[in-house]
Parts: sequence; structure tokens; C-alpha cells
Amino acid sequence: MTRSTTRRKAAFAGALLAAVTLAVTACSSGSTNLPGSGSSSTSSADAVFSGAPVASADLIISGSTMEKIKKRGKLVVAEALDAPLLSQQDPTNPDSVTGFDADLAKLLAIYILGKPNVEIVPPASETREAMLQNGTVDVVFNTYTITEERAQQVDFAGPYFESGLAVAVKSDNKDITSSKDLDGKTVIVGANTPAVTEVPKIAPTATVTAFATDPAAVQALIQGRGDAYVQDYTLLASDAASEKQIKVVGQPFTKEPYGIGLKHGDSDFKSFVNDWLTKIQKGGQWGQAWKTTLGTVTDSAIPTPPKIGSVPGS
Amino acid sequence: MTAQLIPDRPAPARARRPKRTYAASFMYDTPGPRGRRNILLGSLISCLAFAAIIGYGIWQLASHGQFAAERWAPFTDWAIWQYLLVGLLGTLEAAAIVAVLGGALGIVLALGRLSRLRPVRWLCGFYIEVARTIPVLLMIYLMLFGLPQLGINLPTLWKLVVPLTIANSAVFAEIVRAGVLSLPRGQREAALSLGMRPVQAMRHVVLPQALRNVAPSLVTQLVSLLKDTSLGYIVAFTELLYRGQVLASYLHLLIPTYVAVTVIYLVVNGSLSALASRLQRGSRRGSRRRPSTQPPLPPLPATPHQEESHA
Amino acid sequence: MNPLIDNLGPLVQALGTTLLMAVVAGIGSIVLGVLITIARVSPIPILRTAAFLYVQFFINVPLLALLLLAVFALPDAGLLLPLTPTAIIVLTVYEAAYVAEAVRSGVNTVPVGQVEAARALGFTLAKTLRLVVVPQALRAVVQPIGNVMIALAMNTALAAAVGVVELTAEVNKVNLVAAQPILIFSSAGLVYMAIALTIGLAAGWVERKVAIAR
Repeated sequence: MTRSTTRRKAAFAGALLAAVTLAVTACSSGSTNLPGSGSSSTSSADAVFSGAPVASADLIISGSTMEKIKKRGKLVVAEALDAPLLSQQDPTNPDSVTGFDADLAKLLAIYILGKPNVEIVPPASETREAMLQNGTVDVVFNTYTITEERAQQVDFAGPYFESGLAVAVKSDNKDITSSKDLDGKTVIVGANTPAVTEVPKIAPTATVTAFATDPAAVQALIQGRGDAYVQDYTLLASDAASEKQIKVVGQPFTKEPYGIGLKHGDSDFKSFVNDWLTKIQKGGQWGQAWKTTLGTVTDSAIPTPPKIGSVPGS
Repeated sequence: MTAQLIPDRPAPARARRPKRTYAASFMYDTPGPRGRRNILLGSLISCLAFAAIIGYGIWQLASHGQFAAERWAPFTDWAIWQYLLVGLLGTLEAAAIVAVLGGALGIVLALGRLSRLRPVRWLCGFYIEVARTIPVLLMIYLMLFGLPQLGINLPTLWKLVVPLTIANSAVFAEIVRAGVLSLPRGQREAALSLGMRPVQAMRHVVLPQALRNVAPSLVTQLVSLLKDTSLGYIVAFTELLYRGQVLASYLHLLIPTYVAVTVIYLVVNGSLSALASRLQRGSRRGSRRRPSTQPPLPPLPATPHQEESHA
Repeated sequence: MNPLIDNLGPLVQALGTTLLMAVVAGIGSIVLGVLITIARVSPIPILRTAAFLYVQFFINVPLLALLLLAVFALPDAGLLLPLTPTAIIVLTVYEAAYVAEAVRSGVNTVPVGQVEAARALGFTLAKTLRLVVVPQALRAVVQPIGNVMIALAMNTALAAAVGVVELTAEVNKVNLVAAQPILIFSSAGLVYMAIALTIGLAAGWVERKVAIAR
């Protein structure tokens, strides 16, 4: 092969790559940084977002975080993209991120800006506090459990939802019927979830195995790498609904209050957000958001939202 | 033919020389009838062994329903592939920038470490040693947490590219330095005796040959770098592996998703390696046609990578 | 300092797992890598091709994807092992490809005259490899293999994604409660740095001892 042939082949390869790049970007809708402009225009989404409260001008105190957000024109939120029912990106339509956390973030954006302009920055669980401290994000909507240790690094508005951990087992498992039967068993948990600390509390003799993602943990349970999987009960319900080989047993055995992460010491913003939370709870948007996301996998009625500030650290 | 006991790629089937000559040139005599029979026997046994293992694996997978249509149906949807390919673009973009910047910085550092001035040597050596030992993950964390406190707020792409460049420039520097050191001293001496200044000698004589010699290691490092971009999840950079994770949780399907991701990486990295070895072979053959001043050099021990990927 | 000292027991145990994985996978990958290089030289074409494909596959695929597939797909293919051994096997198999590349370059630096002399003396292929080629090849690539071992030690952190309780997993667990990422992750990073430095120094020491004066 002569040098010129090689050069021609390299040039051809480069041109091919460029063509593919153009084709893909031309068809794609790009990154998650586009404003979530309500592309999920189903009627249930309308019920949540239409009539959502918008803050009056006097609430946007000058010099505050709210004004900064309003000037910027979008709300930057630390929110996952791979949490079904909470904030899950739709790969067939990457602009659409749906779920309870995602909807609440959009509602907050509507409250401040009038439009659901949200920029999503998916955090790694260890970077959430840093992102708030650095101002990389304005708020964290990431099933962020309120704890006192965390309250020393960040501020929490809310709690906006109270969840709990539950137990899932393989469908043919008759030994484990509740969280009390976990002693001495191998329990699968999600890494960086509250279950990591809760399971040793209720079952000190259980062996805990942590997997990084929920699909991995479900797969591990099905393959028998553990006897039970402890995770947030709504996530478990969603998993059990799509995977017939596992079932949820017993009732949630802990209370996990989720809070909205805010920059430490920003009390103006905190009272602003708590104000908004009260408004959407009264206005029914909170309940609607729950119903269209977490509520789709359980039969229970819309729960009462937890009282704001009721948890140490919030 | 260069003195390679094991060529970079197995001898192509359409080589004009009869196949026997490849082995016979080096390690053992041309196999006689008994040798040929043993080789045939060995081939048959290995073939059967591989087929048996692979066949058993596939049969077991099928019996557990891993090949069921509904598990793989989503991957007939172009939108899903597009989602992954956009992630791939992010990966390629970050890798390309790191390759260019890290490569340039690496060459500068290598030359610095070979300089006659001791402080320059010491400084470059220190940087290289530190940058090679710190885990890349830690460097990303430090930049993510530390820089904003100094008031520096980089865009997402650069939050990933800067630490990767620092880490990879050190590795590139070591590879290039090894390449320069492997060149016979006579090259530089001949260039200097022709009246070239040291800088000219380096630029026109030493560096091109050194880079050609270490091209395989550079490509391996490039592939390693491409895989390292998966650390982008920490800074929320859109890249392929994280998109695979999102897809896996959306579809509730773990294995097919990661098989798809693996295939994409394999295709991209494989073509990168193949392209690079084609270019290298082409340029090596081209340079031999020019009147060359020195005999073909023994290839250099490849200095492989430092790879870091994280969940 | 407090969260680290409070959890010192589990952290040390997790560090032990990390070191165990690094050492076992390291030794395994060197052995396997040499075997693969030998397969590349063998007269059996199928083995040559298989070795080539093996190296190409594992160099071009990310380790995390391999770990996930090994932990979750292999059991369905009939092979269910506990998590830590699975991770060690995957690490061994993966890094063996890099070792094979390094040893291949090492074999290429052995002067052809050595092999010709061995043949002239009547050595069989096995003897040539065992006594002449492989020892010299290994001695020439001590530093590159050291680099591979360092990369291996860093890559053990990935096993945390599949449930192995090693240093990174334990450190994440501590941070989950304590929420002091800079302190905790910097300390973990320093430990990994110490491991890398140790391996680097060991490689330098080995290299000095076995250096070939050519």
C-alpha cells in the first residue's frame, strides 16, 4: 500500500466519521441542557403544570438567589437521569425527563420563572454537597435524605416527601415476609442509598452487598446473589411491576424524609422554597405530581405531604 | 522485513510467501511431516475446545431466556442507538481534545525531561512523576471541589478534559521519552555534525523517528484515554457509558444494554487501533523507500497505559 | 479526621480486599499474559489468531462493562461464582491482555540471533521459549509490566460497582453518612497513591536487579 493510498484511506475514514457525526447530531435532540419545555405534553402533565403557582414580583427579593435564577432564565437542578418514577430520562426523547423529582423541579422553575426552564446536572452522590457549595447547581432534587450530618454542609427545604425502605425477594421465596426476617441473610442494597446504614440497624447479622445501580441489584437478586433487596419502596414497586420474578413483601420499615438541597446559609431562598412547597401542596400540584409518577405503581391514595421543617436538619 | 519475532498483526493470508516461512524464519525449523501432523492435531483440538466452550455458553444463555426477543427488541429502535451514539460523540469529543492537548504537552514535557538544563529536567520529571501516580479519579474530584473555591468555574467539558489532560500528558511524556532514548545516539550526532543546531536536530531527525517507533504505545494510550472518558459521569458530562446506565434503568434491561455498549466501544476502539496500525505500516514502508541513513531499528518495548475507569 | 478514624476497622478490612485483589489478579495476569504471548508464537494458526483476537477484544472494551457482564451474564451462561473471585478473574483476564502486549514488545527486543543460536543448538520450540526468549523478554519489559500492575491496582476500584467491599466502596459508605467528600476522598486517593508508588518502586528495584547489559 503506498503512502498516498494510506492517506486517502485516512481521509476517507475522517470524512466518514464527520458524516456520521453530522447525521447523528442533525437527528438528535442533543444533551440534557436544553430547557425541558414541557415536551411531555400528555394530559396528566397538563394537570400538573397548568395552574401552577408563579411567584409574585415582591417575593423575588433583590440580590437573592431567586433573582439570580430569574435573571439567568433557567433553574439549574442536580437531578438523576436514571431513577425511574423519580427522574428518568427517556432515551427515545432525551429532552423529556419525567418523574416525581423532575416534576417538582419544573414546578419550582415555573414558580420562579413562569416557565419550566430546567437545566439538569446529574450528580454523583458524593458530589451533591460540593455542587451546592460551589454554586454549580441551585437546588438538589435527588431523593436527598435529610440528615443532621448533611445539614451541616447544606440547607434543606422541606421535607417534600416521606418515603421508606421496603424489602423485595424472589417471587418463590417464602422465608422472608418482612424486614424482621432479614437476620443472617444476604441482603442486597444500592450503594449510596439509606439502606446501607439502615439494614445493619435492623438486622445486625445480615451480610450486606451493595451494587451501584438499581438494575444491577435487581439482576443480582434474581440470580440469587442475595436473599432480599432493600430499597425505596416505590422503586421496588416499579421494579416488581416490570420484573415478574421478584415481589415486594411487608410494609416500608423506615421513614426517609426527602429534602430539597440548597446552599448552606441561604435562608432567604430556603423560606422562598418552603413557601412554594406549601403553595403547591395546597394547590394540589404536589398531589397530581405524585399521582402521575410514584402513584402509578401503588393503589393507595395520594398521601399527605410531610410537614415542612418537621425533621431535624430541615 | 523488520526483525520482529511477533509482528503487530498476524501475517495476512494473502502473503505471497508460503505460510510455512513465517514460523520457519524464527523459532523453529520448517515442520516436517510429523510436525505438520502435530500442528494439524493441535489445531483440531483447539478448534473443538473453543467451539465446545462457546457452544455450551450460548446454550446455557439461551436456556435462561437471555436470547428472548423482547429483551433485545428495544435495540431494533433507531432512537435508542441514536441516544447511545450521541453519548459516543461526547466521548469522542472529550477524547480528541485530551489527545491533542495531552499529546502536545507530553512532547513538551518529554523534551523538557531530556533537556541539558537541570532545573528544567527536574521540574518536568517532578510533574510527570506526580501526575502519573495520582489516581485520575482523585484529580477530577480535586478539580471539581477545589477550583470553584478559587473562583474558577469551568464548563462541564473542561472539568473532565483538564484533569485527563494532566494525567495523560505525563503518560504520553514517558512514552515519547522512551522513544527518543531508544534511538541510536548516532542519529543525533550525525545531525549535529551536519551543522544542525540541537533544536533542529531534535525537530527534524530525532523526534519524527522516535514518534514513529512508539506509535503503537501511543495508540494503546489513546484507546485507554477513550475509555477513561467514562469518568465524565462525575462531572455530569454526556458520554457513552453513563448513557448506557440511564438506558439500562429505563429499559429495566441490564445485559442487552451493556452488550450494546461493549459492541460500540469495540467497534470504535478497534477501528482506531486498526487505522493507526495501517497508517504506521504505510509510513514505515514509505520511509524505507526513501534512501534511508540507517538500518531498520528494532521495535521499542511498548510502554502501555495507565487506565482508570470508575463506576 | 474523625469519620475515617471512627470507621478504621472496616476501612482497613476493605483495604485488605483491595490489596488481595491487586496481588492475586496481578500474578494471574502476568502468568496468563505470558501464556497468551506464547500462543501468539505457536505454530498452530488457530491459537495465534485466538490470542490476537483475545488481546484486541480486552484492550478495546471498558472494564466496567466487562465486570457487569461477567457478574450478571456469566451466571446465566452457567458460571456462578461469589463476587470477589469473579472480580479477580475479570481483572486477571482483562489485564492479561495488556501484559501480553507488553511481553510481545519484549519478545521483539530479543535479538533474532539469540533464537537462531538456540535453534542451531537443537532446542525445541518449548525449550527456546522457556530458556532463551521469555526470560529475556520479561527482563526487558519490567517497567511496562509495572505500569500495568499500577493500572490494575487502580482498576480494583471498579469492583465496587458490582458489590465487592473494597476500599472505594467502603470510603463511599463512610462519606454517605459523614458527608465530607474532600477529606475522605483525598485520604483514599493518598492510599491509592501509596500503592502505586510501592509498585513503581518495586518495579524499579526488580529492573535494576535483572537488567540486561546489551
